[in-house]
Amino acid sequence: MSLVMDRASAQSGLGIGAIVLIVFALFVLLCLAGIGFGSTWISFDKVAHVIFGGGEKSERLVVLQLRMPRVMAAAIAGAAIAFSGYLLQRITRNELASPGVLGVVDGAALGVVLFLALYSNESNALTVPVAWQPLAAAIGALAAITLVFILSGRQASSAIRLILFGIAVAAVAKALTTIFMLIGPIYQAAQAARWLAGSVNAIGWGEIQIMAWALLPVVAIAGLLARELPPADLDDVSSRSIGLNLPVYRVAVFAVAALLTAIAVAFVGGVGFIGLIAPHLARLLVGRARFAGIVTSMMLGAMMLVGADLLVRVAFAPTEVPAGTVTAIVGAPYFLFLLMRKDKTNG
Amino acid sequence: MAELAPSRIEVRDLTLMYGHDTVLDALSLPIPAGKVTVLAGPNGCGKSTLLRAIRRLHLGQRGQILLDGVDIGSLGAKDLARQIGLLAQSPSAPPDMSVEELVRLGRYPHQAMLQPWSEKDGAAVHRAMEGTGVDNLRHRRIGSLSGGQLQRAWIAMVLAQETDIICLDEPVNHLDMAHQLDCLDLVAKLNREDGRTIVLVLHDLNLAARYADQLVFVHEGRVRALGKPEELMMPELLAEVFEVDAAIMTDPVHGRPICIPRGRAKVKRVREVA
Repeated sequence: MSLVMDRASAQSGLGIGAIVLIVFALFVLLCLAGIGFGSTWISFDKVAHVIFGGGEKSERLVVLQLRMPRVMAAAIAGAAIAFSGYLLQRITRNELASPGVLGVVDGAALGVVLFLALYSNESNALTVPVAWQPLAAAIGALAAITLVFILSGRQASSAIRLILFGIAVAAVAKALTTIFMLIGPIYQAAQAARWLAGSVNAIGWGEIQIMAWALLPVVAIAGLLARELPPADLDDVSSRSIGLNLPVYRVAVFAVAALLTAIAVAFVGGVGFIGLIAPHLARLLVGRARFAGIVTSMMLGAMMLVGADLLVRVAFAPTEVPAGTVTAIVGAPYFLFLLMRKDKTNG
Repeated sequence: MAELAPSRIEVRDLTLMYGHDTVLDALSLPIPAGKVTVLAGPNGCGKSTLLRAIRRLHLGQRGQILLDGVDIGSLGAKDLARQIGLLAQSPSAPPDMSVEELVRLGRYPHQAMLQPWSEKDGAAVHRAMEGTGVDNLRHRRIGSLSGGQLQRAWIAMVLAQETDIICLDEPVNHLDMAHQLDCLDLVAKLNREDGRTIVLVLHDLNLAARYADQLVFVHEGRVRALGKPEELMMPELLAEVFEVDAAIMTDPVHGRPICIPRGRAKVKRVREVA
């Protein structure tokens, strides 16, 4: 291997490394801010103090039991959704792809609403452990993306077709979700509505633990699958002719991406657009570099949800506006911007 | 035909259908080792499908394709990719991918899941880029290349794969005359110097006749004729397969047959009345 090339890759590696570090620093700051801000302000040094085992009893309660779970849940879920979006954008070779657009989020929502409807008793308490909720979300998400795949049929390799069918399936899932909410008990419907809009305010450590354990193996598999992404960047004929089993690989990536999103939204609800924007921004920042792209996507996704939650707490307190509304308000125009730009280049 | 080498690839009674349309109809074809085989035929005759079937990108419903006597259906995806390379008709890569990154993808079938990039891989990429003259473009983005540069970068990718057999699907489409010759001369050199077996799909009959050791006319999903260009470039055959009325002459420079179409031939075949 020539010197020239090694030097060039080292240079670009340094630039990307610096960007990843800056994003990481911003991520840590935002998390600290997420813990510090609220009805009472707790300074960063006090937060650090509490995390390392000190602090007053009231501060410990607020930080460890009220605010940290929110921030942790938002960060983990945001990162998982962003990873999912990264995988989908790469495998469809289309920057408009995302778990939301491909029907995964609404499929998961339908799964959860069905779950709540089927396993609640008259007093609106669950008759089965809440730990089953992510399973319901996963089944809904996988069912949705499978349907999208089947409908796209032979042209499943065409990103536009997938996206169009994804939007259609998402709409149907959304309609069914609404129907089940309407015919379900009122109280539960209100709960479900909060969840659907996306919210991290009710999460405790127990749920975070379940989410993390459920995500761990999926993230590991996704990481392994991501190693084969570069050959899949080529057109179908070329990627298959260099020996990638594209039909199988594509299904595997879609399934893993659907699971990542499903597990995340099972706990934080239908937060939209993170899976679209985070990977897209990451690509703008670090280019095609795969590992850096995934890590940056995940941090940006985490920041978006932590930031959205922080915003609703600070700006709309004491009303608890769902964080998902913020990501949607920011995300929808971004999606439109991408659409219009795409139109122009197709032009 | 007698001097042609034994077959590397043997297509036997291959029938391939898309839905109810029969694209290849019990087609048989030997591909001799170390020779340039050119598939030619009118639009929709099945020649590109045949090429892709040889690379197992399409599966036939009946018949088989043997590679050195082994059914290609029994080979693993990467295994086959180490033996047969294919340049797609209109390949595409992300515009922000660098030329070098593209060429390195040619090494994909040689890498195991946990096996890092080896010196052998680096050497193959280096040779491929040098052989196609894209080494000075290695850091350029795919999106910034001209048509000729882009085609050379893709050929470099296929070369880095280091396969004995290389299939190219209309590699000179969209290239100007000089770049067409560049491209085909490069392919001819790969055959001559490295003894690689080449299978080409070409639209231009005169280019086909010039570069082919074995010329194959594919017509309505079957092999209508195969042999040396001199044997196939016959007015009656061209009228039947390509529906052109052509005069055949010998190219004074290369000594190969060339055809000069006078116009569309009157179709002699009796069509069934609809």
